[in-house]
Order: sequence, then C-alpha cells, then structure tokens
Amino acid sequence: MVSPEMQKLAQERAARMQAAIELKEPDRVPFTGLGGDIVAAYAGITAYEFEFDFEKNRQAAIKWLKDFPADSPVGGIGGLDNLAMSVAFVDFPDLANQFFMVNGPMNDVLNMKFARFPGRQLDEYSSRQFIGGKNMEPEEYDELIADPVKFSYEKILPRIAGNLADLGSPTSLATMARLGMVKAQQAAEMRKTGAALAELGYPTGGGSTFAFAPLDYIGDHLRDLPNLVLDIRRYPDKVKAAAEAILEVLVKWTLQGKAAGAVQAGFPLHLNEYLSPKLYREFYWPTLKEYILRLREEGMRSRLFCEGWHDAHLDTFLELPAGWGIAAFEKTDVRKAKKVLAGHTCISGGIDVGVVISGTPAEIDEYIKRLLGDMMPGGGFILGPNVGNLPRNTPIENVAAVYEAVEKYGKY
Amino acid sequence: MREELLKSFVDMDEQEAVRIARELVESDGGAVAVLETCKEAMEEVGRLFEAGEYFLSELIAAGDMFNQIMEFTLPKLQGDEVASIGTMVLGTVQGDVHNIGKDIFKVMAEASGINVIDIGIDVPHEKFVEAIKEHKPELVGMCCLITLGVDSMKRTIEVIKEAGLRDDIKIIIGGGRVSQAVMEHVGADAWADDAARGVRLSKELLGKE
Ligand code: B12
Repeated sequence: MVSPEMQKLAQERAARMQAAIELKEPDRVPFTGLGGDIVAAYAGITAYEFEFDFEKNRQAAIKWLKDFPADSPVGGIGGLDNLAMSVAFVDFPDLANQFFMVNGPMNDVLNMKFARFPGRQLDEYSSRQFIGGKNMEPEEYDELIADPVKFSYEKILPRIAGNLADLGSPTSLATMARLGMVKAQQAAEMRKTGAALAELGYPTGGGSTFAFAPLDYIGDHLRDLPNLVLDIRRYPDKVKAAAEAILEVLVKWTLQGKAAGAVQAGFPLHLNEYLSPKLYREFYWPTLKEYILRLREEGMRSRLFCEGWHDAHLDTFLELPAGWGIAAFEKTDVRKAKKVLAGHTCISGGIDVGVVISGTPAEIDEYIKRLLGDMMPGGGFILGPNVGNLPRNTPIENVAAVYEAVEKYGKY
Repeated sequence: MREELLKSFVDMDEQEAVRIARELVESDGGAVAVLETCKEAMEEVGRLFEAGEYFLSELIAAGDMFNQIMEFTLPKLQGDEVASIGTMVLGTVQGDVHNIGKDIFKVMAEASGINVIDIGIDVPHEKFVEAIKEHKPELVGMCCLITLGVDSMKRTIEVIKEAGLRDDIKIIIGGGRVSQAVMEHVGADAWADDAARGVRLSKELLGKE
C-alpha cells in the first residue's frame, strides 16, 4: 500500500510539472532526473540484464531512485521505436500501442532488422541500438499515399521484421502468438514496476504516449533520412501528400494512447535540423502543427524534443496557442529559446550531458547555478539533461553534484 | 557553360547541373572543367552552410549531385588530372552507426582534393590500425555522434599509439559529440562539428592552406 506521505510526494511532483507547463513558477524547479546506462552500472548489472530481466531492471531503478530522486522516474524496460508495426495494426486499438516499442524479449520473437540488443547482436555492456535502414523505394510513394496502413502491413512489415517476412506462413503466425505471450507476461511485470514507483512517491497515471512528425515516420522507417531529404526536392508533391495521409493514421494512433490514460504526447523530432526554415515551413511543420492542434482539441498536450539544432525554427512555436505544451532542446541553447518563447512555451532541458561526464563536481555546481539563475525566473522551465542516456562510466560523484546543485539552487 | 554549371549546382538545380555537366564533359578538356567547377561549387555550398544560409539538406543534395557527376566525369580524366593533396582514412568509431555526417564530410573533403578511404561505420579499433598500415594516410578522420563514442575514439587513438603509428598521422575528429574538450580528452589534433570547417582544418593539417 502506498503511504499517505508518498501519495503526497507524488502529488507535489505532478503539480510541479503541471505548473511549469502552465508557464507558472512552481515551488521548486521541476527536474526530470538523469538516467540511462548508468542506472544499470550503478546497480552492478550488465546492459543485457537491465534490458531482458524485469526483476533486475526494477531493482536497479529502485536503487537509483532512492539515491537520486527527481520529479519523474526512470524504470521499466526500454525499447526501440517500431512505429511501422503500430501503423500496420492501427485498426486494432488494443494492440497497436503494444507493438510500438520493441524491447529485448519482444525482439527475440520478432527479429527486427533495425534492432540490435545487448547480449544478442551486441556485447552485454552496450545499450540497445536502432540502426535504421531504407525500406521503401521512391516508386512506392503512390501506394503509401493511397493507404499508409495497408502499405505498412503488406510492404514494410515483412521487410523489417525477420520473422514476419512471409506473412501468413506458419512462422509468422507462430511469431504473433509468441508475441502475445511475451506481452502478457510483460504487462504483469509492468504493473509491478508501476507499483514500486508509486511506493517511491511517483505519480501513477496521467502518463505520456508517443507521436511523430509525419515526415519523421518516412525518414526513420521508410526511406531513411538522407533519401527523404533528396525526395523533398525530387518529388515534392508526393512527399506532401504522403505526410497528409500519414498524419491521419498517426493522430488516430496517438489518441489510442489517450484512451489508455495518457495526457501528454512526446514527439522526438529528427528531420528538423536538416531543413532550412523555408523547407521546414513548407514540408515538415504544416502536418506537425496540425497534429499538435488536433491532440490539443482532444485535451492532450504535446512535448516536442527538438533534436540537434533547432535555432532556425524557434519562431514557428509562436503559431501555436500559448501554453500548448513543452519544447525540449538538445543542442539549441535553452537561454536562446527562452528569449523567443518566454510566456508562451514551456522550455525543457539545459543540462549538457557532456558536462556531467567530463566536468568536475565544482564545475557542475557552478554550471547548474548559472543555468538555473538564467532559466528559473518567470517559470515555465523544466530542468533535464539534453539527451537521455548517461554512459556507464559517468563518474557518480558528478551525478551527485547535479542533484545537490538542483537541491541548492532550485528553490523559487 | 562553366558559369551555368556552377550556378545551377549552387542553386540546387539537380537536373540542370547534371545535364550541363554531361554536355560539358564531352568537350575538349571538359572533364577537367567539370571537376574543377564542381569542386568550386562544393566549396561555395560549404561557405553558404557556414554562413547559416544553407542547411544539412543542401549539403546532402550537393553531395549527391557531386557523386552523380563524378561517376561519369572521373573515368574521363587522366591520372595526373585528379592529383590529390593528401590521403585520409575516415570512419565512424566503434559502437556508433551514424553515417550521414561522415558521408557529407567525405564528399566535401574529396571535392577539396583529399583522397578519402572510407572504412565505414562501427569501425573496430584494430581496423583503423590496419587501414593506416595499408594506405599510409597523412590524416585519420573519426566521426562520433553518440556520447558512448567518445570513449571509443579515445580507445582507438590509444590502439593507434600502441601500434606505433600515432606520430605518422594527424587525427581530426568530427560529428555531433566533438568539442575542444573532447579533442583534448581523446588526444586528437583537430576537431570540427561542421563539414566546411572540417575540410579547412584538414587542409591546414596537410599544410595546404
Ligand atoms: C539521423 C539520426 C539517427 C539515424 C542515423 C542514420 C544514419 N544512417 O546515420 C538512426 C535513426 C539510425 C539513429 C540511431 C541512433 N541514434 Co541517432 N540521431 C540521428 C539525428 C536525428 C541526426 C544525426 C545526424 O545525421 N546529424 C546530421 C549530421 C550531418 O551531423 P554530424 O554527424 O554532426 O556531421 C556534421 C559534422 O559533424 C561534420 N562531420 C561529420 N563527420 C565528420 C568527420 C570528420 C573527421 C570531420 C572533420 C567532420 C565531420 O560534417 C557534418 C556536416 O556538417 C541525431 C539528433 C541530431 N539532430 O543531432 C540523433 C542522435 C545523434 N542519435 C542518438 C542516439 C542515442 C541514437 C541511438 C543510440 C538510439 C538508440 N537507442 O537506438 C541509435 C544509434 C545506434 C548507434 N550505436 O549508433 C542521440 C545521441 C545522444 C548521445 N549524446 O549519445 C542523438 C543526439 C539524438 C538524441 N538527442 O538523443 N540516429
């Protein structure tokens, strides 16, 4: 049973995040915490154990969160983006989301060509890898546009899933049956992990689901990013039509996550950095913007993780209604983003993981102090690392220095 | 015609640039003219990128055009007409599979006259050593986009040292994770997180600028 004290802590944490999203000043700066490979290393287990063994994963997360508590937890077995499979099964709302993340045990069943896992294709200490690939030819745009779901099911799935290469074969049927068994076991494990996190004072429910800019679906899963960049010049009308067709499917999919309890949708942006403001506005942004607005109509907020440099596109956020959601940054300086977006968009990020890896505790203290000094005033800021994964050999005293500095300087 | 080729190339008019190059290459001394014009165009594209007018998509498109045109131009050139200013072994370090940035840098380095030996992605430390022994380059380029790759670069350079090859080469590192601090940490000689700067520094390391 979750103690009243921990229930209260969970409420405080949720309220802190919510206040920042609503562009207010909370009691303290909300902090998403550090995590990644270091969590497994801290518990003395391999990446393989962390990604395949739910019990060890849970114990590692608990140990980490006890020593390094933040406003959102680490925990659960992560996976690799398998959006093409969710698209293929989007007409089955009970299933589509289940397939979205391929974790280690699921991949043992499916054998996805884009995936590499520790203790399998990689050594036991490496973290999982998405290696991408080209799965569609330019001549196939018309098929994609006509029916993205059918195209994904008939053409893409057999190309990316080794064990579904021959749809309808005994191997493929056995694979789907096995996948169902694995998912059922995992659902039970995930409930256990959820309960363990609740006991540590983390909010249950009100979670987050995923969303993708339609062009990123094409770049990540169908054409491979450099080819898509060339397609934009060679077949501009087809790329636009494809983005529109994909938008409908993806909105439907994200809303299935809402039906399962999510209140927020996280978009990792990939193509953003590649495009000039002109191409961004013409090809990428229209369907992304529409996606965000449609989710908003349904009461969901969006969080855009702007990978790479996003400086050239910052002003596009201003086309959205104030308080629309969160913009998280990787290379773009959050201070620069604040100049453009203060009072309009909640900003997230700020901690350069490179500093945590190679700085000294004293440097880190100074770094966080300056960062918070610049970013906290006025509210609307969520502190977090610029990328999600701290490597195994990150000095733990540096991690501690981050948390101590947040404690020291993070009070409003 | 050189003017038109230069203009359509720099303006990203793929069809037009390839068409003119095809025509020009057939004329007397045309292949050399195409090669030089395309190199000049790549340099201009790099300049526009550094100035913030062009973005990665323009670099990718320019690299693709350059490769398309070279495919039919290089066979028409005599050996001494493609004289290189130096050789570089280039690869993305072990553990890292990102290749887009490396490939962009490669075309731009080639366009500037560097003979690039591309040894791929996720390159084991020993493979760098083997390639150095085989190709005897003046430069080694390493690309790294993930944090984990930083250690991998450091280790690769150590292995090169252990093989007694470090003093024969200059090492330049690139990709999203590099910086002055990373360069010092891993023991490289130069760093660049954009291709145009990388090419400039490579030429400097070769004593060509
Ligand atoms: C495209 C992409 C992918 C594609 C790669 C496709 C491909 N064929 O390369 C796919 C989807 C496969 C992918 C996979 C992964 N990715 Co990735 N990816 C990106 C993304 C969106 C763009 C990278 C890119 O191409 N940038 C553009 C190029 C042109 O830039 P660049 O490499 O820096 O190159 C320039 C210069 O540096 C220079 N240059 C390049 N090489 C060289 C070499 C020399 C010698 C010199 C001098 C110069 C030079 O010239 C280029 C042009 O100016 C970035 C986010 C971002 N926007 O940066 C994440 C990112 C790099 N990926 C990331 C991660 C974590 C991964 C995965 C580990 C995810 C996963 N869990 O599976 C896997 C990687 C697996 C592995 N072991 O490598 C993280 C890295 C975080 C970190 N600090 O470690 C990033 C930053 C995203 C993020 N914010 O989380 N990714």
